Amino acid sequence: MQRAGPPVLECTALRKRFGDLLAVDGVGFTIAGGETYGLLGPNGAGKTTTISMVCGLLERDGGTVTVAGRPMTTRSVEAKAAIGYIPQELAIYPDLTARENLAFFARLYGLPRAAVSTRVAEVLDVIGLADRAGDRASEFSGGMKRRLNIGIGLLHRPRLLVLDEPTAGVDPQSRNSILGSIEELSDSGMAVLYTTHYMEEAERLCDRVGIIDGGQLKAEGTRRELVALVGETDRVRLSAAGELEAGLAACLVLPSVREASRHDDGLDLLVDGAAAALPGLLAALGAAGVTVRSVDVAEPNLEAVFLHLTGRALRD
Amino acid sequence: MKALAIARTNVRRLFRERSTIFFVFVLPMLIILLLGATFGGGLTPRVGVVATGVGELGEQLVEAIAGGGDLEVVRYDSREALGPAVERGRVDAGLELPANYDRTVRSGGEAVLRFLARPDQLGPQLRAAVAAAAAGQAAELRAARFTVAETGSGFDEALARARMVAVAIPSISVEETTAGEALLPRDLGTFDLGASQQLLLFVFLTSLTGASALMETRRLGISRRMLSTPTSGWTILIGEALGRFGVALVQGVFILVGTLLAFRVDWGDPLGAAAVLVAFCLVGSGAGMLLGATFRSEQQAISVSLLAGLGLAALGGSMVPLEVFPRAVRDVAHVTPHAWGNDAFAELVRRGGGIEDILLELGVLLALAALLLALAAWRLRRAITR
Repeated sequence: MQRAGPPVLECTALRKRFGDLLAVDGVGFTIAGGETYGLLGPNGAGKTTTISMVCGLLERDGGTVTVAGRPMTTRSVEAKAAIGYIPQELAIYPDLTARENLAFFARLYGLPRAAVSTRVAEVLDVIGLADRAGDRASEFSGGMKRRLNIGIGLLHRPRLLVLDEPTAGVDPQSRNSILGSIEELSDSGMAVLYTTHYMEEAERLCDRVGIIDGGQLKAEGTRRELVALVGETDRVRLSAAGELEAGLAACLVLPSVREASRHDDGLDLLVDGAAAALPGLLAALGAAGVTVRSVDVAEPNLEAVFLHLTGRALRD
Repeated sequence: MKALAIARTNVRRLFRERSTIFFVFVLPMLIILLLGATFGGGLTPRVGVVATGVGELGEQLVEAIAGGGDLEVVRYDSREALGPAVERGRVDAGLELPANYDRTVRSGGEAVLRFLARPDQLGPQLRAAVAAAAAGQAAELRAARFTVAETGSGFDEALARARMVAVAIPSISVEETTAGEALLPRDLGTFDLGASQQLLLFVFLTSLTGASALMETRRLGISRRMLSTPTSGWTILIGEALGRFGVALVQGVFILVGTLLAFRVDWGDPLGAAAVLVAFCLVGSGAGMLLGATFRSEQQAISVSLLAGLGLAALGGSMVPLEVFPRAVRDVAHVTPHAWGNDAFAELVRRGGGIEDILLELGVLLALAALLLALAAWRLRRAITR
């Protein structure tokens, strides 16, 4: 659910160049308290570069970032106090225990010494590692390490939680647990910036999604707003053989078919109300000499939006 | 203090590695012991002696050889035991007195002393010392026999009188002086030279290992994560350096106190020695941080740290005293912090100087530390944020 209120994060026209590569070009968005904003894009789209600039970890070539009303640069201290950054890699000391890792970062987040042990115990409960608090991180499973990685970002009760693909390489059970925790944090009023290349995660978690590719924000909005960009059409993928050119022509004259194209193994169609239109569609193809081996109908989703906006799939 | 939290975490992680205890504490002491025993100039040469049934005069000769403590006499029961002891270096030379020594020399006969030595530099020197003692006793015996012949008194009475008169006879003494400055003072202890050299070598090496620790922190993404907290890049670097500085300082104090107690090493002015140690640990920490912020892999950092640690130590006089280098090489050696550290310790240990005599050396070391830490901070920030 999108929340009202003053933005916790405002970034405008972010730009970063690495040599000849323009990694981020004019990206801007805002996030309000209690809102979860997803940056959805394939690997190399510019997600990590964007959040690195948001967190003051990377010097930017252009644009502005304001967190909780304070400008962010790589030297900012006050703005960083409002952010809980959870990196993609497991940035924890493997030879320290879970409790020691949390206590160490609690001090760096500026928690008073007297409050550290209490807050560490609370976070250990939140991430479900209270019974393993005295074990070294190197002895943890991948999912437990991920949870510890997330717990560190929660220690100082940040106003903005920034998660960079936190479920990468995690088993389904741990992944579900992580996503559940993020939903709870968002419900508690925390603003969340979440990067992922998993469409399902973006659809489940995010109030608004920014679709990023080639360093540019192609579109942003709620899921409904984004799906509306491609219309309420279903994507129908046919695996077929025979007279495909004739079949393509037969499809295009049907009123329910918006677009049709060939692929190596059959036809791709954008169809209004695929469930109702499918019998007529198959009849027309049969009449044109096309033998249909399988039919795959996809309702409009963020994957389709990404395809529509960029011409390629999220996993390409 | 966030820097202290970072430092404390580094130290905790370091000492969880059991091998750290060996490399930081045990190895330096072993090497100091080994170097002192091998090259220390203060060892008393040991002469093995077989003197069974040699009588009073034989025992007096043995006492004369032991003399003023310049030689240590080790007794053996037989020639068969003495020979292998000399061959295997348990003693530096051997002397066998004939069993009838006392009776032979009292009767004016010739007693043959058998001297054994290895073909090294020490053998002839010890032979000369033994010969001098024997010559001294022979002179007294000749004087006693002359007295007996001239006065008809008993031999023991004549010998006692000869010894009494010998004390009053003016003797020739040889005074040794050094032209210019002595390379090493005569009263330098067995371990005094090696201890200060090894102190600097090990403290610097330990500090440089901070490079691989910083590299690991960067590789794990922890440096980056630290920078995402309200913690400045300077604080992170100071914390990382402080941890390594603390370990090096603890190691240095351990070597100082350990060698003082175990080997009676004279470190000179305690305040001066402490100041040199602190300044040198700061230089080492700065160098370690610069390497850790510059290189891209831990392997690279470890290799370069070892090479730099040993190479600078060799050039800077921590393996061979700077004084044995030609003047030009000595000048070049002062591009290394070790040379300045060794100069400072030479002033304190060998020339009895105080902290006021090593202000130049301390100033150079502190300036170098500040430069290295500033470069490391700049490099680390660039490595993380660009």
